[in-house]
Amino acid sequence: MPHRDKPTVVRPFQFFRAGAQSAANDDRPILVLDDVTKYFDADQPTLRGLNLTVQRGEFAFITGPSGAGKSTLLQLIYRKHTVDQGRILFAGRDIARLTDRSIPFLRRNLGIVFQDFKVVEHWTVFENVAIALEILSMPRRLVRSRVSEALERVGLSGRGRERTENLSGGEKQRVAVARAIVTEPALILADEPTGNLDPHLAIDILTLFEEINETGATVLFATHDHSLIAKREHRLISIVDGRVVEAQSGLSSWPGQRNKNNSGLHAVAG
Amino acid sequence: MDFKSAVTRARRGLREERRLYLVAVSSLTVAFLCVAGAILTMQNLAEMADRWGRSGRVTVYLRDGAQGEDVQRLRAVLEGLSETASVTHLSSAEARAQFLEHADVGADLSALPAEAFPASLEVTLVADAEPERVDAIAARVTEFRAVQDVETYRGWFDRLESLLAAGRGFAFALTLLVSLCVVAVIGNTIRLAVARRRQEIEVMKLCGATDGFVRGPFVLEGTFQGFISAFLAVALLMLGFFLLRPRIDVTFAALAGMRSVFIEPWLLVAIIVTGAAVGALGSAISLRRYLTV
Ligand SMILES: Nc1ncnc2c1ncn2[C@@H]1O[C@H](COP(=O)(O)OP(=O)(O)OP(=O)(O)O)[C@@H](O)[C@H]1O
Ligand SMILES: [Mg+2]
Repeated sequence: MPHRDKPTVVRPFQFFRAGAQSAANDDRPILVLDDVTKYFDADQPTLRGLNLTVQRGEFAFITGPSGAGKSTLLQLIYRKHTVDQGRILFAGRDIARLTDRSIPFLRRNLGIVFQDFKVVEHWTVFENVAIALEILSMPRRLVRSRVSEALERVGLSGRGRERTENLSGGEKQRVAVARAIVTEPALILADEPTGNLDPHLAIDILTLFEEINETGATVLFATHDHSLIAKREHRLISIVDGRVVEAQSGLSSWPGQRNKNNSGLHAVAG
Repeated sequence: MDFKSAVTRARRGLREERRLYLVAVSSLTVAFLCVAGAILTMQNLAEMADRWGRSGRVTVYLRDGAQGEDVQRLRAVLEGLSETASVTHLSSAEARAQFLEHADVGADLSALPAEAFPASLEVTLVADAEPERVDAIAARVTEFRAVQDVETYRGWFDRLESLLAAGRGFAFALTLLVSLCVVAVIGNTIRLAVARRRQEIEVMKLCGATDGFVRGPFVLEGTFQGFISAFLAVALLMLGFFLLRPRIDVTFAALAGMRSVFIEPWLLVAIIVTGAAVGALGSAISLRRYLTV
């Protein structure tokens, strides 16, 4: 090993830095949504007075029928959109008040995974993962070791040189997950990450997120796949009529079915 | 580190979009070649004007029947002037011979009689003779009996000067026009490049890239296009000039008694730097409009 100090990654907003070890923040929830309202349409708010608290290290499913606002909720957290009313506290800081210039620094503390992967097809697997670290101006040598570590965690070790377009859907999603976790963010947002995958691959990806969760990251996993939800005992956050309706994953006492008479999960999870 | 990353990504962009950039660079090279060509022409005209302006030559045409002693007196007067460097007598026959030697016209002029060429006194002035003094001398000399006419070449010089002024204006306008073209062409190329790289731009934004991080490579790519186009234009002009110079110089020697000159080195550097700067400007403008990151 070279006798050099390990280079440290400087993040402009240390405040946003992850770290379950960070004692000062230990008891504070990582995410608080307080009376959040979002309109896309003036007379039909997508989210209306939504309240939600997520503790550090939690794994939560976000569900609800199509168009309920699952994606919108996540988009508000990574500041693709701004709330119309209310506050979103991420690590105690109101992200609705961030200036546009600060948004990148918020996102550096998040790992985001999408249904359509959002990997760059003509880049190699390595490049797709490394970009997240290059944005942090991390030295090349460190980038290499961190990327291969991340690829190993998602089961793609040794495949960094392959062009991403040659990968299968499940593998592409693993690349996206590796990119999301390589910066060791405090919060992972996954918007239907299994939506384009067949059922057994979906379980694989879900398991991957659970493993990531075990290392300390908080995971919000949006999905309307009830078979996936039914297999796990995670906190279940259901969005109905623009508000949160919570249920523990037992499914016998499913909340939020008050306006539909067909019972069970299908009514809510679409 | 960020700059290095931008360079790496710009190089990749240039490689992946080389078709697009090749088209842009070739048209921009032609545009820059026009500017450089205009500048080259201007420099040679300026050199010529400078040469003529400083050479200070006066031809005193003598009457056909001028008396030998009148001519001698005139010659003595001219030689006595402090502005005069030398005076030579050119007879009709000599004038005719000199003309035929230089004239490169198709028609057969050897039939021209010697009488068609008046004898003259060729006065060479010292360098930095004041134009006003020369005019005064010419006016006085005209009054001598032996003198038919005096040519100070001031009219030619003035005409060349005004041609030069017009040429400078033209070159300036051309430079402005070409700059606008370059901004437009590079802006458009960058717009296409941005469109093609939508996916990676989105990915970088989601990973927390700043605007500068995303835009950096595009600005570098635009700068490079401007730089390389201007450089190629200068190189091509240089090549063409030095290949054609022997032929150009024959005309030049006959016309102005001098060799042609190439654009001065600092001006060459200025052209290339301007190319790069205009390229950067074009891409920056385009990014402001099309890359709302
Ligand atoms: N950018 C937007 N502009 C206008 N309306 C939008 C926008 N994004 C979302 N909406 C609207 O907000 C509502 C919620 O959309 P959202 O994408 O959050 O739903 P979802 O719960 O993720 O649904 P799905 O399960 O189909 O992904 C929808 O009615 C949608 O039309
Ligand atoms: Mg959605």
